[in-house]
Amino acid sequence: MTRYADMGQVAGDFYTENFAQTAQEGSLILNLGPQHPSTHGVLRVIVELDGEYVLRADPVLGYLHRMHEKMAEVKTAAQFIPNMGRVDYGHALAWNWAFVGAVEKLAGIEVPERAEYARTITCELNRIASHLLWWGAYLLDLGAFTPIMYAFDDREKILDILQVPTGSRLTYSYFRIGGVAQDLNEDCLSRIRAFIPWMRSRLPMYKDLVSDNIILRKRIEGVGVIEPDQCRRYGATGPVARGSGINFDVRRAEPYSVYPKLDFEIPTSMLMDARGRYDVRMIEIEQSLRIIEQCVEQMPEGDTLVKGAPKPSWKVPKGEAYFAVEGGRGKIGVHVVSDGGKNIYRTKLRAPGFSNLSLFAEVSRGTILADAVAILGSLDLIIPEIDR
Amino acid sequence: MEALLQGLPLDYLAACDYAKTGQNWQVFLPAGSLVKAAERLLAADWHLEDIAALDCFEGYVVTYHFAHFDRPGRATLRVVAPHDAPHVPSISSVFQGALWHERETRDFHGVIFDGHPNLIPLLLDPDMADCFPLRKDPKSRVKMREFLEAGQVIYRNPSFTLMTPDAPAESQVSGGTAATA
Repeated sequence: MTRYADMGQVAGDFYTENFAQTAQEGSLILNLGPQHPSTHGVLRVIVELDGEYVLRADPVLGYLHRMHEKMAEVKTAAQFIPNMGRVDYGHALAWNWAFVGAVEKLAGIEVPERAEYARTITCELNRIASHLLWWGAYLLDLGAFTPIMYAFDDREKILDILQVPTGSRLTYSYFRIGGVAQDLNEDCLSRIRAFIPWMRSRLPMYKDLVSDNIILRKRIEGVGVIEPDQCRRYGATGPVARGSGINFDVRRAEPYSVYPKLDFEIPTSMLMDARGRYDVRMIEIEQSLRIIEQCVEQMPEGDTLVKGAPKPSWKVPKGEAYFAVEGGRGKIGVHVVSDGGKNIYRTKLRAPGFSNLSLFAEVSRGTILADAVAILGSLDLIIPEIDR
Repeated sequence: MEALLQGLPLDYLAACDYAKTGQNWQVFLPAGSLVKAAERLLAADWHLEDIAALDCFEGYVVTYHFAHFDRPGRATLRVVAPHDAPHVPSISSVFQGALWHERETRDFHGVIFDGHPNLIPLLLDPDMADCFPLRKDPKSRVKMREFLEAGQVIYRNPSFTLMTPDAPAESQVSGGTAATA
């Protein structure tokens, strides 16, 4: 282990000092964040630079750590659902789904058909909102200010739709063990029907104005190449894996709910770079619209909560279950182990962003610093999800 | 899975019902087989989903979930680390994604991953890194066979009785580490 020549001059905390121990002579150690605008919340990345080039990078986590897994030990299953809305503010409903799905699997609860459709519709709307948030913020990182205004205009429409059944605009806790909290009423469904053509009409404009823009292309094409093998070694999923040509989507690989009945495609890109991940997410917005369209049409009448649905004090039966759903950032997995007591014995939350970000140290090596920022953004990071 | 892990010393191998528990295989390994098993899983197109520990009566059950990209199926690999010396070999040389999962598990349960290149705190503050929030109170620890999926046993090492419902005295197997706590 070589010791950094200027170790005496390293100012910083435990992590900076630990990082500097293996630094090369003459390099510069820089802390990016935790309050850097491009780190989307409070992520910190320590980079070792040789001029403009990144020799080494190491993300430092924990600034938004809230220990949800401990909270799961002191709350009943029903009381824990609001926590799920706060793990990932971008795609909160997918986390709702992963948790209630795991508990339902363990307890063997069947969800009414209409509730499955309500879940799918709201979850896909939320996915579009999540991708729009990423899109606007990513372009902001890259220096384009205007797109986020358009993205938030569209996202606002989704929030307006979702606030009626869910009662909130960001940290949803809409799913219940055995169904959903409220039915999607006719007014809500008609607003969703009206939203689909509106969103479709916007996408060509986004393509013309932004996706094909030469400045954007120069920033993201060929930047941050991730090989499929790397995805496997790091467990990267979602648009990051699909942007590397891996045709993997939990909705198809481990089908759940009504997805097997629906006709939609899983977009992949062989480019493997930031552009590939960008393209995949843009096509996913279209595919989510297709899913919502079919669901609104096929949605049967009926209950949205199973008869005899668990009460808040209900005890989860003994056993273990793992349930995975496809979130905006990849595979969300919840593993619950219950001893039949008041609270669940152990709840493990698998955050897709956690595995996706762990790739960064390897991918950013040898890039220039400005590209490292473009790579970070292309991973679509939601820090509260990574820190949990 | 039997073919994949053939020749490795195993403790327990069972097929589970995916529809009921979300996992297809339940495997208990001695710590020495873990890295070899991980290498074989990587070669057979599995990817690492997550690593987490579970504080049971017999010790910390370090749980590894593996899945495929192109087909359903989940393998749960488990290594039991005794409470008084929770050491497990690191698989980060095979699956680099394990680097952070192992650091997180060290934060939460204090399980030490031997061979990890940089086992520093990940989510907890370095000043409070030795508080291990998910360790259970010794009195409330539950035996593994109470809630872990037993499945259809394919192979069981005769000396591994932790998952057998009527195991006579598990303290002989686990070394009775928890009983003193």
